[in-house]
Amino acid sequence: MKLNEKKFFELAKESNFEAADIFFHKGASLSLSVFHGELNSLTQNSGYIITARGVVNGKFGSVTTEVIDKNTPEFLIESIKRTAKVIENDDPSIIFKGSEKYHKKSTFNKDVLTNDVKGKTDLLLDIEKKLLAYDKRIAEVVSVAYEESYSEEKLSNSYGLKLAQKQADYSFVAEVTAKQGEEVRTGFKVFASLDPNEFDEDKFVKEVAEDALSKLGSTQCKSKKYPVILNPETASTLLKFLLQSMDAEDIQKHSSFLEGKLNQQIVSKKLTIVEDPLRKSILFKYFDDEGVATNKKFLIKKGVLSTYLYTLQSAKKDGVEPTGNGYRGGSKASAGTALVVVKPGRTSEQNMISSINEGIYLNDLQGLHAGMNAQSGNFSLQAAGFMIRNGKLAEPLSLITVADNLLEMFNKVKTVGNNSEFVLRTGFDCPSILISKMAISGK
Amino acid sequence: MINKSQAIQILNAGLKTGADYAEIFIEDKLSRVIVIENGKVDTSTVARTCGAGIRLLNKLNSVYGFTNEVNVKSLTRLITSLADAFKDKQVLSIDELKTKKVRDKHAPEIPFSEVNDEEIITYLKEGEEVARNYDKRIIRTGAQLAINETKTTLISTKGFILKDEKTHARAALSCVAAENGKIETGFEGPGASAGFEFFKNTVDFKALGERVAKAALLMLEAKECPSGKMPVIIGNGFGGVLFHEACGHPLEASSVSKNLSVFANKIGQQIASPLVSAIDDGTIKNGWGSNNIDDEGNPTQKTVLIENGILKNYLIDDFNGRRMGLKGNGACRRQSYKYEPTSRMSNTFICNGNSTPEEIIKATKLGLYAKSLGGGSVNPVTGEFNFACSEAYMVRDGKVCEPVRGASVIGTGQEILMNIDMVGNDLERAQGMCGAASGSIPVDVGQPTIRLSSITVGGNGGELK
Repeated sequence: MKLNEKKFFELAKESNFEAADIFFHKGASLSLSVFHGELNSLTQNSGYIITARGVVNGKFGSVTTEVIDKNTPEFLIESIKRTAKVIENDDPSIIFKGSEKYHKKSTFNKDVLTNDVKGKTDLLLDIEKKLLAYDKRIAEVVSVAYEESYSEEKLSNSYGLKLAQKQADYSFVAEVTAKQGEEVRTGFKVFASLDPNEFDEDKFVKEVAEDALSKLGSTQCKSKKYPVILNPETASTLLKFLLQSMDAEDIQKHSSFLEGKLNQQIVSKKLTIVEDPLRKSILFKYFDDEGVATNKKFLIKKGVLSTYLYTLQSAKKDGVEPTGNGYRGGSKASAGTALVVVKPGRTSEQNMISSINEGIYLNDLQGLHAGMNAQSGNFSLQAAGFMIRNGKLAEPLSLITVADNLLEMFNKVKTVGNNSEFVLRTGFDCPSILISKMAISGK
Repeated sequence: MINKSQAIQILNAGLKTGADYAEIFIEDKLSRVIVIENGKVDTSTVARTCGAGIRLLNKLNSVYGFTNEVNVKSLTRLITSLADAFKDKQVLSIDELKTKKVRDKHAPEIPFSEVNDEEIITYLKEGEEVARNYDKRIIRTGAQLAINETKTTLISTKGFILKDEKTHARAALSCVAAENGKIETGFEGPGASAGFEFFKNTVDFKALGERVAKAALLMLEAKECPSGKMPVIIGNGFGGVLFHEACGHPLEASSVSKNLSVFANKIGQQIASPLVSAIDDGTIKNGWGSNNIDDEGNPTQKTVLIENGILKNYLIDDFNGRRMGLKGNGACRRQSYKYEPTSRMSNTFICNGNSTPEEIIKATKLGLYAKSLGGGSVNPVTGEFNFACSEAYMVRDGKVCEPVRGASVIGTGQEILMNIDMVGNDLERAQGMCGAASGSIPVDVGQPTIRLSSITVGGNGGELK
């Protein structure tokens, strides 16, 4: 059954809503995993969520529902009225009339949606076999899984704005354990793409297996300050927290350490970071969740903070144009980013490693939801990686902690590498980064 | 919705290709959130979650699917499509299902449908105001109440249709303190499977506001925590997140059944210091992690996990239990109909010991007192875990000394459990959200004050002196 949008907007008008909008998200996915030579689990999902908002007497009311029946338009209207009634803050409640220009493009490739349970099962079983055969120290394949998913987003509002976007993507995930004596280590890798032909099975098998094997013999290093190379995943993880502090709402509410720092040098001149929502990627968006057109823009240019991240509301409060960074979470949008690109430097990762006498190479950070203080930028996190001795990677390290402050550490950038890669978990295209000194705790 | 004969029809459609178990989980949930920020109502949302999740099991394999369309046509289509994954002869068929309404042991005394928004706003504002006005260095405060009222229907080839209801709600108060470029936060989030009576009668929100403000200011004045290996005293209540990460997750059948946990095949063995006994109890009245029945229809129960250091039981769901030759023990949970359920924790805690918290501090020459923790994570395969300390002090010569900030603690579950060398008698529980394969679910953690003889502490404050 389809939502009667026309009825919703009619009722909104009758109820004297100044404006209203509907954000419709629909998704479907197929995922499978194998264990010990058999298809172990299969899931097939489909679902939709409708978020509706209305401006009543200048205040936002909001409601979400997963039920579409003939009563839905009334349910949405009554809920918006109820929730708007209690709002007291006088922040501007804005529903967007529309941008002048949208860079509309489609990245949707229906060939990604194969629905081929047999073919993918056979492929996963082959990966499982190859992982076990890779090295006799590979003890167990914890999981090998595949997922293909479809998503569709539609925004329509009482000003007649109508925007829509669809996407299909797929991913492979594998986790293995490597064993040597009593020691057990895990290796893990995610591969995700929009392009059905991009997956390289043997490359994937090698990366997962080597991730586990390289950790055998892990030890803790001495507690002291070292030069640290952050691999693309760990570098982007920490940079992502830095970006979160660019949220204009936090700035306006005095709870960001980037307050008052717009257009100032905040980090090393060697760092240039760009948001590029229109580049073809899993994170492609041509309109944000509030209907604002997205654009490529500098976030940090040679270490200078170029912009805050705005939603319609925070932009109005600062008297600036919205930046297309509004993401939905109920009635209030909050700032976020699509694809973020860290401009690569000219040095290879190999040369970065060769330049260090005694240092650390980090490729894993854990406990971020607990060990990172987003307001101050101070963090203390569990980490893993390798010792660097005399210009070479040496013994693997695990159960060490790294502690620093985000602003301070990114002022100590010695080199930005040229080995950019897309990190799905953070949504960054990022190279390795060498920080001149960080506090590492181990033995 | 679907009636009994339609349910039987749908289940049978799913059994044609050899499934030995089928289940339809229907969920209809109404949620409400009111958020106060800096003294004003900032946002308010209402949400209706509704859908059905279907699970089919065939020996050691499972298939799962969900849909928002809860009607006989859509559910038949889904179950038939899922059944396509199996290629065996039919082994089971259903002719009858018994409908049962589960007794709600946690029924709200004051249901939220009888509480208007204004009353909730007044309650929240009282506490938020105390925090906001506590000190001029408190620059941002927020309070909220999130309410969930859920009706579930579990239809199972075990022969029943179980109808259950649950109300659970959680309040939260947070604040940001700032001075001289330093920013710190305070947070408390009490919740229960109960109605408004839990907040109105048992949670003094004004006292909570004062505590949260004090905690943020304390960390503002704190020095950086030194790093290195040292004895660490963990405070009661949310300190139990240590046990939850280090031990609780590796005891879930989801990893134990596949021999992928450090504690697999260790029943009857000493896995912790003899001072340690620990329990998971899904029946605690109005407990935040409690339920009447688990998400596959088994009654929840109190399970002794560890007794005097010996491993006694795992947390088991029927499906993973198949690999272990054991039946589910009421530990099967999921976030919503969108998730395939599996073994999870409910209210998990270390039991009281014989020392007083004062004795534990007095017995410590040099170490860290982590009065309150901030959360952590674990790799159940290797046992490596971490957690952050949100309120911590140095202990010197048996006395609590200067507060320290930015401390985090890491280790392996196996070592930590053996290193608990003192256990207090001041057990308390605290609320949290636990994320794993079957989604994010409400859980209680808990413990008395305990001491770890040696653990790695990370911090920016240089070497331990």
